[in-house]
Amino acid sequence: MAGQTEADGVDRRQFLKVLGTVGGGAAVLSGCSTDRVAKLVPYMVQSEDQVPGIPTWYASTCAECSSGCGLHVKTREGRPIKLEGNPDHPINAGTLCSRGQAGLQALYNPDRLAGPMAKNAAGTWDAIKWDDAIARFAARVGAAHGELAVINGYGASTFSSLLTRWTSALGGFITNFEPFSREAERLANRKSWGRTDLPVYDFAAAKYIVSFGADYLETWGSVVEHQRGFAASHGFHDGGMSRAVFVGPRLSLTAANSDEWLNVPPGAEVLVALAMAQVIAAKHGHALAGSLSRYSPGKVARETGLTADQITTLATAFAAASPSLAVAGGVGAQHRGAIDLCQAVNTLNEVAGNLGRTVQFGSAPAASEGYGAIQPLFDRMAKGEFQVVLVHDANPLYTLPRSGKFAEAFAKVTFKVSTAAILDETAKACDLILPNLHGLERWDDLTPRAGITGMMQPVIEPVRGGLHTGDVLLKAAKAVGGAVAAFSAPSFEAYLKGEWQKTLNAADFDTAWREALGKGGMFSAAPAAEQPKTAAGSEVSYTTPVFDGNGDYIFMPYPSMQYHDGRGANKPWLLENPDPITKITWQSWVEIHPDTAEKLDVREGEIVELASPHGTLRVPVYVYAGVRPDTFAMPLGLGHTEYGRYAKDRGVNALDLLGAADGQGFLPYVATRVSLARTGDYRKVARVDGMPRQLGRGIIQSMPIAYAAKGMTPEQSYKAAGGSFPESNTELERTALEGWRERQLEQTRVGNYAADNMPKWGMAVDLSRCTGCSACVTACYAENNIPTVGEEQIFRRREMSWMRIERYWEGGTGGEPLQARFSPVMCQHCDNAPCEPVCPVYAAYHTPDGLNGQVYNRCVGTRYCSNNCPFKVRYFNWLKFNDTAWPEPLNLQLNPDVTTRARGVMEKCTFCIQRIRGVQNTARLEDRTVRDGEIVTACAQACPSGAIKFGNVKDPAAEVVQWKRDQRGYTMLEEANVRPSVTYLAKVLHVEPAAFHGSEER
Amino acid sequence: MGKRLLVGLGALVSVFAATLILSHQSGAQQPVPGKTPAAKFDSSSMQGPRQPIFFRHDIHVGQIQMQCQYCHYSVGVSNEPGIPSMQTCMGCHFLYVTGRTPENKAEIKKLVAAWNAKKPVEWLRIHELARHVHFPHSRHIKALGPQACATCHGNIARMPQVYKVNNVNNMGFCITCHLERKVTRDCSTCHY
Repeated sequence: MAGQTEADGVDRRQFLKVLGTVGGGAAVLSGCSTDRVAKLVPYMVQSEDQVPGIPTWYASTCAECSSGCGLHVKTREGRPIKLEGNPDHPINAGTLCSRGQAGLQALYNPDRLAGPMAKNAAGTWDAIKWDDAIARFAARVGAAHGELAVINGYGASTFSSLLTRWTSALGGFITNFEPFSREAERLANRKSWGRTDLPVYDFAAAKYIVSFGADYLETWGSVVEHQRGFAASHGFHDGGMSRAVFVGPRLSLTAANSDEWLNVPPGAEVLVALAMAQVIAAKHGHALAGSLSRYSPGKVARETGLTADQITTLATAFAAASPSLAVAGGVGAQHRGAIDLCQAVNTLNEVAGNLGRTVQFGSAPAASEGYGAIQPLFDRMAKGEFQVVLVHDANPLYTLPRSGKFAEAFAKVTFKVSTAAILDETAKACDLILPNLHGLERWDDLTPRAGITGMMQPVIEPVRGGLHTGDVLLKAAKAVGGAVAAFSAPSFEAYLKGEWQKTLNAADFDTAWREALGKGGMFSAAPAAEQPKTAAGSEVSYTTPVFDGNGDYIFMPYPSMQYHDGRGANKPWLLENPDPITKITWQSWVEIHPDTAEKLDVREGEIVELASPHGTLRVPVYVYAGVRPDTFAMPLGLGHTEYGRYAKDRGVNALDLLGAADGQGFLPYVATRVSLARTGDYRKVARVDGMPRQLGRGIIQSMPIAYAAKGMTPEQSYKAAGGSFPESNTELERTALEGWRERQLEQTRVGNYAADNMPKWGMAVDLSRCTGCSACVTACYAENNIPTVGEEQIFRRREMSWMRIERYWEGGTGGEPLQARFSPVMCQHCDNAPCEPVCPVYAAYHTPDGLNGQVYNRCVGTRYCSNNCPFKVRYFNWLKFNDTAWPEPLNLQLNPDVTTRARGVMEKCTFCIQRIRGVQNTARLEDRTVRDGEIVTACAQACPSGAIKFGNVKDPAAEVVQWKRDQRGYTMLEEANVRPSVTYLAKVLHVEPAAFHGSEER
Repeated sequence: MGKRLLVGLGALVSVFAATLILSHQSGAQQPVPGKTPAAKFDSSSMQGPRQPIFFRHDIHVGQIQMQCQYCHYSVGVSNEPGIPSMQTCMGCHFLYVTGRTPENKAEIKKLVAAWNAKKPVEWLRIHELARHVHFPHSRHIKALGPQACATCHGNIARMPQVYKVNNVNNMGFCITCHLERKVTRDCSTCHY
């Protein structure tokens, strides 16, 4: 090439230089990506190119909670548009919960800070430059002379170890803080076995699960993993399924999915555990039998409100089903006796022989500290022991009770720094904010437990002007000098790679690194389970927990499934996705038992004032039969005073009623008695449910396990149980329907679209697996650009949830246990659809592949179709929701494959037609037919329980056809003759056929 | 259509626009007056919008006989045909091809200047499908062959400046062809 003429002053060197700075071939080709994106390792698409119109997938790790689920990030043209689970990840295996999916709305949150900010003398914020911000930070840290406190909310990771080492090099003090940190369990494990690590629970192997207040399907521990395990054991399979029992004062989602709810007063759960252990130990002649003899069922039954027989039966069944599993430690059972409770459950697992089987020690989930560590730290702050405090990925001023005067203690620190990306309560009280990057924008890793490390890689340029806190630490270290200057890595990315080079220890690090990135992390086999040795003197004891105050009712705050410890409250998907039990959106409520409500003469929506010795708050009432009459329950997570437009001033914070001073090493959430005063004010509760009972309509059907095992159909089951079963199709109706679908197809038959070759799409939903967790709902919002409408519009029943979870109540009267039924309801894609013939403009029509098509650009908004739909799955876009639902940059989350609908258009579930067409296009290009399982709808993809199956029902080998052939299959509202394409498999109950009436269902 | 069905998609950076630009900004495809040096050859009297660089499809496709897919590289695999990157242009133009006529030299100089300034050329879009229509380019190339572009886009090889031959937003234009070839007329094939 030497001696070539150089064209117009661009020499070869400069050509390559431009190439390099713009980021190499892939980046330039892909158009809108940048050098950061180009260096990434795509997983699904082997080519590094981002092809316009074709999504590129990157593996990453979810940082929305400490479970550390693996992600596959779907990006289009350089921006993430959907988060899905990483199928190779050992924790979530391709599925993802609502909160994880809503991580996208943290990335694109419109309230993210544009850059570092410093508080000026007037108390307002000045936007400053990063160099300036780091210089200020370094100056303060350098001058603190070790009087530095660090509160780190990020889990075990290379970053956290850097932060720890950085802090100790500066002589500072660090706390790894997590509000729900399961301290009571650790303390109990120390008493039981002399170790403070937590076990991993194998729900899939357990044949009998008893939970003592641990909401393992909602907020306690690694919920997606628990859900997968629960579905595997408790979903009806091979003629049987495990049995689940929940012991606690409130019917939570976990309790509602259990076969039995033992309604025990707060603080008395421990007695049930001890009595069960006593029964089993006595029977097996276990060493602990002697010390347990004080807790025989006969002695404790009165305090628990159960009968001795009940406890004995439970214990016997629990011991007989081996391996079984008992769990404890949820926030809802975190009263002052929580350590005793967890210890009693340890004993129960021990005597039942579950250790090493369903309770596996050895691959400890990463340790975090909670209230027991943070409270002394704030005490020291109050004494003025710290000059500088750095708060990373935590919001202690919101998640700690107000009565503890933590804000006052915090204010005593001279210089307070937060790395919050959104101005939260703690950041508001700080002097300097150094906004961190989102997990999808930064290099990072996360080790939720031994053997599993998830990687994170930037998949998008920073949406706002954040900087990785790791980079801030390294730059500050350089500026401070001294011992801390040993951190010499030029960037956190380099530091991370350096640390990984040590661990990977591979000859070819680059290849190993890229492999790990592509796979989403390093997943080695779990360390061999250790058998814990019973610690000497692990005598179980029990003291009755005390409650503050002398109100008549025990106050029970519980973590909300959507908001967790409050961090979800700024994401509209989570705010609009209703609580699965109460079906309330966008606000706080207090749950009061109907009898208590009658006694106090309060009604739903009435604002009451709850008063404890530590504070008062005003909150609307929700009358709920699933809470004890002596207990008021209230979700945590709302009531923010900052934290962006969606969270600020929304609802109330239940922590305001709690006391703070406690020397037990954890925050006892359920430790307060409250009194109630009526205020006469009223606030409508934004509920999205309708009739709470099925009234014999058979919408969600169930059957006793004995009948299911015999292969009976739900109809046979209801008839065998003596119920009535309405004649669904009369002879006349049958004749009218004969050949209807064929005639429809005849009419739509054109050219090579011959109906015979067409697939027919169908779905099956296994209700014995569905837990009602609502992950599918969030997935549907994300996939289909569904606008959130806000509380005001939900009052008017204008929510747009194409897919919803129906929740109906059964029993609860006449001595029958209160039970919930959950079912996802999406468009049923009826063969004989009532919506289609009423559309005057043919916007609603039947596609040749069996869908109820909806052509948005034809729709003129008569709403006849919705009026005619028996399932009410058509949603009318009443206002310009698409103008209001996605303030910039939230709009970047939109899926370019789906039209955003304007005002005046009817919208509905299309079985993710964009995915169907996408796969069909790909198959056509590859000259093949669509494979079974290739098309996965967004809801089926997300479902942690694997309850939804989609496919071509004309393909006899298709999995969905196997599901549809199941004897438990039925279609909703069969008597309406609409012939849905969605088959539901009836829920299976652990109930004796004699006790099964099904009167409300049928 | 009275309904503004497709508003709100301004948000959705259109794929074409996205492939055109390196930065996060979108929309402004009109070159800033004054900053863009005036083309020596004034193409404004020709059909079609005047582009920031007078790119000669007639030379590239007609005379040199380049394949459409050389630049519109994803047309056979994706819904989107793709717009060539600046690198694709520079692959030929940075050393060897500097133009024969002064007019062409001036246009190529603009390209090189844009490359050196790391500013992608902001082309004007000719064919923009309404956003409620999903048109998979790949399937049409698959069915009709790689030379089928002309079916909708006209004889580009004869166009010094590209202009719209067919109104691709006229559904009748699509349906006529689908009827002739006896292929699907199902609404949900394109509208979802």
